[in-house]
Amino acid sequence: MKLSKIFAMAWESMTQRRLRTSLTTLGVVIGITAIIGLASLGEGFRSQIKERMQTGFELDNLTVIPGSLFAGLSRERFTDEDIQRISNISGVKVATQVMQIGNVTLYNGNKKVRAFVATGVNFTEFVKVFPDRFIFENGKLPEGDRNDTIVIGYKVNHPTENETTPFAVANDTITLTLEVLQPSPPFHKPKNYTFTVAGTLQKRGTPGITNFDYWILMPLETVREIYKTQESDLIFVKVYDPEESERIAKDIEGLFPPFKVTILVPLTLIRQVDRILTIVQTFLMAIASISLLVAGIGIMNIMTVSVMERTREIGILKAIGAKSRTVLGMFLAEAALIGIVGGLIGVFTGYGLSYALAFMLSSFIQPQQHDTVFQTPETQRLTIKPVFSSQWTIIAFTFAIIVCIIFGLYPARKAAKLDPVEALRYE
Amino acid sequence: MTAILETEDVKKTYRMGEVLISALRGVTFKVAKGEIVAVFGPSGSGKSTLLHILGALDRADEGKVFVDSIDLSKLSDDELADVRLRKIGFVFQFFNLLPRLTALRNVELPLALADFSDKECSEKAREVLKLVGLEGRMNHRPTELSGGEQQRVAIARALVNDPSIILADEPTGNLDTKTGFEIVQLMKRLNEEKGQTFIVVTHDPHLAEAADRIIHLKDGLIEAIKKAPRRSNQ
Repeated sequence: MKLSKIFAMAWESMTQRRLRTSLTTLGVVIGITAIIGLASLGEGFRSQIKERMQTGFELDNLTVIPGSLFAGLSRERFTDEDIQRISNISGVKVATQVMQIGNVTLYNGNKKVRAFVATGVNFTEFVKVFPDRFIFENGKLPEGDRNDTIVIGYKVNHPTENETTPFAVANDTITLTLEVLQPSPPFHKPKNYTFTVAGTLQKRGTPGITNFDYWILMPLETVREIYKTQESDLIFVKVYDPEESERIAKDIEGLFPPFKVTILVPLTLIRQVDRILTIVQTFLMAIASISLLVAGIGIMNIMTVSVMERTREIGILKAIGAKSRTVLGMFLAEAALIGIVGGLIGVFTGYGLSYALAFMLSSFIQPQQHDTVFQTPETQRLTIKPVFSSQWTIIAFTFAIIVCIIFGLYPARKAAKLDPVEALRYE
Repeated sequence: MTAILETEDVKKTYRMGEVLISALRGVTFKVAKGEIVAVFGPSGSGKSTLLHILGALDRADEGKVFVDSIDLSKLSDDELADVRLRKIGFVFQFFNLLPRLTALRNVELPLALADFSDKECSEKAREVLKLVGLEGRMNHRPTELSGGEQQRVAIARALVNDPSIILADEPTGNLDTKTGFEIVQLMKRLNEEKGQTFIVVTHDPHLAEAADRIIHLKDGLIEAIKKAPRRSNQ
């Protein structure tokens, strides 16, 4: 018997048992809905997180920290020589060192603000590492060799959101109070220094460890002079190709004795997160697949009953010349059709579900009310967009059909093996 | 006389729990093309077993069955199915139509199994339904047809693949006398017009007497083969 005819007959038989067929198909629909819904939502979640991480971490920037997270952060610092050696590694565009001071207080007339992070940077090199970050609200980058210029981050300059006048504008002269180490008690002594504001930065709100909104930047040499040192705390390395960043990180590590430096490689971090998300997603899909297996058992159950009910019909078919494999084909075709129809509907409802869930989740996750050092409301808003994946669609659809056929195999074989004489005698 | 069906010492034993039942204990006979042969006997005589073996639904334990000179004992299950499809037509006491399908679709079924195109199926099935006098009832389902009409559909279905033999198992057993008589007349007509060979299994002497020959079966053995008075009656 032609395959098309077998399918036509299977379809006819299914449509004549509408309630039973639709309930059986519903199982498959639910299974596929769960799989597609979770796949598409998970994929959307993953791409959202990846996108955020990519904007948060500049992928072509490596951060070199002295000491090791495992061996304890050392008090050792970097020297100009280290910078030179790192700069010589192939693939490195620029390496720049940064001195960090911690809390400072700034005075402009009777106005007073605090900055969480005060850093000494080599402006010409530093700008090459973070070219997109230096968008000025006011003024510009310090020029020449002046050693008393300062750049102020947005949050330092606008400590409260509603403030109309900023703390300072370009060319203001401000006083900076620093805690300077003393050789004798009380060891820390506040000292005042005078700086001229070169410029103030616009709000960036970049999530991550280098959120300049909370920074003030001063010339490196000036900071070194204040602290009487030739060393630095951090090295930022910009590479030409982010894909090479892991190799370059290894090369940098090789320049130092073991456990002397820790290198933050955003690419590795993102890869790790991506790996974890993949595991979570696979886990969710596995759970969703269970519902499809349950549907499969439902199919097996219903079809076994159906074979019993149709024993006489099978006997008649065999008596008029249907081969065993034709009977097998008829029942398998019914199972496959349930898979095809259930799969098709399930794919649609699955995407529908993922959009509904995404909408609900997005409205549940309210932006935080307070800014943190790492995040601002602009970067907190999480909108999950489900991702349509043709790959997942095909996989889920095929899975539906395969599951149905596998579970239909037992009853179909049972039907095919029926002895025609016995079957005709069946009441 | 060309034998269209031939049996040689056919034996069949069933096991019913502990007991072995010899349904057929060596049955030998021939049926010529164009004959109507009745297999007559009381219940338990082995009629149905014989019919199943002749119809390639079951296999003989011993002996041989030839349909159109094909030795059924040598065929695989699939080949037996093919013999049922192309060489044999079945008519049952309880009609055995598929209740979900219309008369037309029921008759089309053997054609579809034999891989005829949809158009050919429809054309041939209509033609045969017309032949059995059901041209007006083609699109009715079995439940919408009378017993006589259902048996006509069954005959049409048996006839549609031009089989060598039609095997009928108590074809009038479930019909009233008048309708039963009409079915017998239909079979006779098909025999006369188309030369269709029939083997009719029955315990009804009136039906048996409509045949050319009557094989009397008792306890799995042929008791006698008699010429029926049918032809001489006409």
